Amino acid sequence: MGPFSRETWAQRLGTFRASPSAFMAGPEGEDLGRDLLSDLRSEKLSEPMKVALLALSLEYPAQLWPDAPAAEAAATSLLDTLVLLPPRPSALRRPLLLAATTALVAGGALSPASGASGRLLPLLLGLASGRDLGRSFGPASEQRPLQATAWECLRELESCRPGLLGGCLGLLRALLGREGPAQPLSLLLALALRNALVIQARAGAGLQGLLTAGDSSMEGGPWNWTLAEEGEVHLQPQAPSWPAAEEGECGLAALELSPEEARELRATVAQLLDSSYLLTPVAQAQLLWLLGWALRGLRGQPPVLFKPQLVRLLGTAQLTLLHAMLALKAAFGEALFTAQDEALLLRRLTLAAQHPALPLPIHLFYLHCLLNFPENWPLGPTDEEAAPLLLGSQLCRGLLPSLLHEPMALLARLHLLCLLCVEDEEKEEKGQDRSPRHYLEELLAGLRQRAALDGGPRALATLCFQASYLVAHCLAGQPVVLTPLTQGLAQLYRTRPALAPHFVDLLDQVGPELQEPLRVALRQEVVSRPGREEALRWHLQMLARVADGDAQSATLSFLRAAATHCTDWGLQQALLRVCRALLRAGVGGGLADLLQALARQLEDPDGQDHARLYYILLAHLAGPKLGVALGPSLAAPALASSLVAENQGFAAALMVLEPVYSLELRFRVEGQVYAPLGAVHVPCLCPGRPTRPLLLPLQPRRPAPARLTVRALYTTPSGLTCHTHLPPLLVTFADLFLPFPRPPEGAQLDFFEELWGSCLPKGTESRLWCPLGPGGLEALVSHHLEPFVVVAQPPVSYLIAIRLPPDSRLLLRLEAAQSDGVPVALRTDNWAVLPLAGDYLRGLSADG
Amino acid sequence: MAQRAMWLISHEPGTPLCGVVKFSRRYPTVEKRAKVFNGASYVPVPEDGPFLKALLFELRLLDDEKDFLESRDSCSHINKTSIYGLRVGSEELWPVVAFLKNGMIYACVPLVEQTLSPRPPLISISGISQGFELLFGVQGFLSSGQKTDSELNTKLSQLSDLLLQTCPFGTLLDANLHNSLDSINFASVTHLQKQPAWRTGTYKGKPQVSISITEKVNSMQYDKQEIADTWQVVGVVTCKCDLEGSMPNVTISLSLPTNGSPLQDILVHPCVTSLDSAILTSSSIDAVDDSAFSGPYKFPLTPPLESFTLCYYTSQVPVPPILGFYQVKEEEVQLKITVNLKLHESVKNSFEFCEAHIPFYNRGPITHVEYKASFGQLEVFREKSLLVWIIGQKFPKSMEISLSGTVTFGAKNHEKQSFDQICIGGTAYLKLHFRILDYTLTGCYVDQHSVQVFASGKPKISTHRKLISSDYYIWNSKAPAPVTYGSLLL
Repeated sequence: MGPFSRETWAQRLGTFRASPSAFMAGPEGEDLGRDLLSDLRSEKLSEPMKVALLALSLEYPAQLWPDAPAAEAAATSLLDTLVLLPPRPSALRRPLLLAATTALVAGGALSPASGASGRLLPLLLGLASGRDLGRSFGPASEQRPLQATAWECLRELESCRPGLLGGCLGLLRALLGREGPAQPLSLLLALALRNALVIQARAGAGLQGLLTAGDSSMEGGPWNWTLAEEGEVHLQPQAPSWPAAEEGECGLAALELSPEEARELRATVAQLLDSSYLLTPVAQAQLLWLLGWALRGLRGQPPVLFKPQLVRLLGTAQLTLLHAMLALKAAFGEALFTAQDEALLLRRLTLAAQHPALPLPIHLFYLHCLLNFPENWPLGPTDEEAAPLLLGSQLCRGLLPSLLHEPMALLARLHLLCLLCVEDEEKEEKGQDRSPRHYLEELLAGLRQRAALDGGPRALATLCFQASYLVAHCLAGQPVVLTPLTQGLAQLYRTRPALAPHFVDLLDQVGPELQEPLRVALRQEVVSRPGREEALRWHLQMLARVADGDAQSATLSFLRAAATHCTDWGLQQALLRVCRALLRAGVGGGLADLLQALARQLEDPDGQDHARLYYILLAHLAGPKLGVALGPSLAAPALASSLVAENQGFAAALMVLEPVYSLELRFRVEGQVYAPLGAVHVPCLCPGRPTRPLLLPLQPRRPAPARLTVRALYTTPSGLTCHTHLPPLLVTFADLFLPFPRPPEGAQLDFFEELWGSCLPKGTESRLWCPLGPGGLEALVSHHLEPFVVVAQPPVSYLIAIRLPPDSRLLLRLEAAQSDGVPVALRTDNWAVLPLAGDYLRGLSADG
Repeated sequence: MAQRAMWLISHEPGTPLCGVVKFSRRYPTVEKRAKVFNGASYVPVPEDGPFLKALLFELRLLDDEKDFLESRDSCSHINKTSIYGLRVGSEELWPVVAFLKNGMIYACVPLVEQTLSPRPPLISISGISQGFELLFGVQGFLSSGQKTDSELNTKLSQLSDLLLQTCPFGTLLDANLHNSLDSINFASVTHLQKQPAWRTGTYKGKPQVSISITEKVNSMQYDKQEIADTWQVVGVVTCKCDLEGSMPNVTISLSLPTNGSPLQDILVHPCVTSLDSAILTSSSIDAVDDSAFSGPYKFPLTPPLESFTLCYYTSQVPVPPILGFYQVKEEEVQLKITVNLKLHESVKNSFEFCEAHIPFYNRGPITHVEYKASFGQLEVFREKSLLVWIIGQKFPKSMEISLSGTVTFGAKNHEKQSFDQICIGGTAYLKLHFRILDYTLTGCYVDQHSVQVFASGKPKISTHRKLISSDYYIWNSKAPAPVTYGSLLL
């Protein structure tokens, strides 16, 4: 297809960005990568449109060129496009370099065998190091941006393929000392150095003069892939997360450096740190993370090198810099931060976490850092949030929550306040009514007051319950906190029962220290109500969660009063759910009366059925079985839909107890070999009683086995009518066997011979070999054919006559048995029976 | 350190999706690393549509909060930072750095260079702070000077190009996007080795240095025995140094008069080369005593080309500039209010403006006001249920003014009257808005002769000062008011 117009491309890019997966699945998906590459060279497309195409390739290379060969081809094409650009200023050179790099890395095509890699790497290094590459690389005005881009491409390549620039360490270092721009050089050198150290440590080798070597790649030789090949197995974290780094120790302890190498390394690091002021703050932070973790665990490299930077960094408000300091703190601990330094860092962090000039997200992150502060000598386990030892209540004063804070800030600060209260309990000052605990209580009261506002936003209620949960979680062992919390929450419920879902959730989430007293208090709140308010549905929802075997009479009288107001289906169901909870809790006598009353009184038939069912269950089942019957189990996650919950409970009940209320079974015979079967009604299956066998009146139209599909219709305990498929019922050939009427004594042989003779000529005769099991012939006959034996002369012969409905017969002569089988002569008046009889007889021995 | 993707999403309540993705950028090479590092716990970055939906849900920015939703409203679902886990399909994308500012949601996904199961602590992930800086950088770029939608759209369209320079592969090179914009415009400037990366280009022209100090004073006044009033000054010093040379050295000193209030909690710009330890340690966490360091506060630095914030500080002045009380009594259908304000004698009595805003929340519109003011005029905004007492440029000689009156309200209309979660029951406040030029409450100033510039030519030095009120509340003393822990301890 020829080049697309600007408009077509704009539309295609728009559609693609709206949903890349949908676009790629569509008719144009396959061609997009190819069209993009070819149209980059089209003279008709404007430069901005080409930049937009390249921008797309920077973001979605995996969609455009999904495998390594395609990525290699794309990178080659992009490099060709770059070379072919006329030598005038162009906005395409930088994105082309980025796109070629991205395509190679994302497509997994970067390798010594890749031609595009072999072209790209020396090109980037040449551009970066400022070597003259000739006029083809654009006017002088573009050199600096191109150079910066080339450095970034190299850094990304080294990030994704550690060791790739190991051979250039000497060159990078020399450039840093001379004319090169400080930032990209510093970052690349630090990264390549760290990667080289790790790779060499793993190989058990030293730096082998890498820092001082000249560079072969610069002299036109092939790219040095040695370190990259060795490093290929492991991608290196540039800034390992701390616990991960603890485990691996970065593996640098094994690195053996000669004194000279150690000196070179130290000089390089010092050089990097000295010029770090010239880097942007974010780049300084990257350098510090990189160097900090590069040197950690490396012998002969004291962290004191970092010391001169610390005061300068501590004074700034920069998030990245303070974060990098914390990383250094975690990496080196006391070796870099004395106790005084640690205290100062903590103070700076504390003030940054509340400084009015900084935005909220930063405050919150610093608060997180405070509670995860890497202490020199931590007291508790390091994986739990805790206030550092040096952070006393004096230091925390400005960090405590107030109702004026945003929800997230309030919760974060509340957590700190809780931690203070834990400490505070140990040294509770007598007579001082402004202890953190009192402040906490006032704060929680304020939150509840806001949550109680009728018509207030749900977020306010959520915040109140989150705070309550946090306090219950942190201060579970302090009844002095939990008691007023329980009372306050109960009062909140009294004021705004519509918060019932929040209460149920809170009860589900908190530990028993709050859960038990709160449950009791809430039950008390509900059952002391007259039971006829607007909030009845909330009360019933609440009661279904908090009702138990205690306070039965109050609960039941509440329900009795409520029942008269439960006029709609929803309320009735809510009421019945409470009954169910009571059933599960083992409430007896009074509940039976209530259920009987409900069965009469409720208007909705569904509700009546339920009440009746619960009554029957209550009357017939012992406690534990009731619990199972009324699942869902408490361990199962709460389900939003009550219908699903009901069905689950029923399924459990069906398996355990077969208590089905009313059942209808419907059958269908496949192939119409039998007459149609009517439905079978089972009016009531009573739990715990043996069931009668169900006899099916089958009327075969042919003497053949069949398969019956079975469907069941039943009513559930909730009164719903359900439909289900049961496993199919199989009628085998043997199931059809009927005996002939018994002939008079002495006439058996004649009777049999007469039948035998009557089969022909209409029917057929066959002889076959019936294998015998270990029990021999007698066992076989007695197990399978006993009712049909007409003449028995064991062990010499058996004469057997079988009637096959509707009107066929099968006659067998079993003759003298041998060790492994018995010859059988067989006659039938129905041809179609023969193969069935053969299969049947041959299968007998297998059944024993 | 790298980011896997970033988004700008405008929050548009009332529309079907409640938001629109205005900009997004993915970094496939970083994504490739994420796949290796995260291993089995890797969750790919979703497409824009699903991301938008999941983020708005998590940030509670969808309109449907009528019913309790466990996945959103459960009490154990607690977020204490601006870093979220988003449910995308059956998986959870974490960590997602996100915040809402002026109707725009800024979001990115930092690379975590290890497995995500178990989750590593946020503090140990370098990409978190880098992600924040990227988002703040973008926010700074978008909000600078932007007023209209078309200006915003112009900036959004520049963003793709800017990120190509400042964050080409997901690793941020400079959070100050203006620097990159400048370097696009001045691409021909040769880069010198000793030039800082944050000082792109050089200045040519008349040397001049401009320094301005802006102090904001906030206060919470209760007029109660058991609750102490609080107030604090927050200072910002901004500079613009137009100086020739690649790395000019400048030292700027802040001074205090003899009775000035010491500066505390000083945070400096990263271009400051060294810092006196007294500056580093003076903090509001400690009780102030006479031995507190009171300057001069010297800041040696190499200035960036653009205007920058030299430092922030706080200070605890001995008295609030305006002390007042506010009493509200509910009498049947109307409120009876009394306000008294007194300007402290030490404060410069020359305002650019001074107003007391008296809002009434969770009530209907104002239907009737009767009042008596000893000074100034009262404006009534009936629909907003707001009174504004315009005090003007000067307090009277007595330095004390008062206002009393009765306010009657109509029926509450939930749609029109804004809901307030603080002013419940009798809880109410008035808020002071004022500005005084050429004045600081701490007394802090820049002596022009103390500014040292080591560059060619003698620069013209100009200095500016002003005091602005910010969150200056006086609470109704007849009802409970929100307090901070600090106001209880004193």
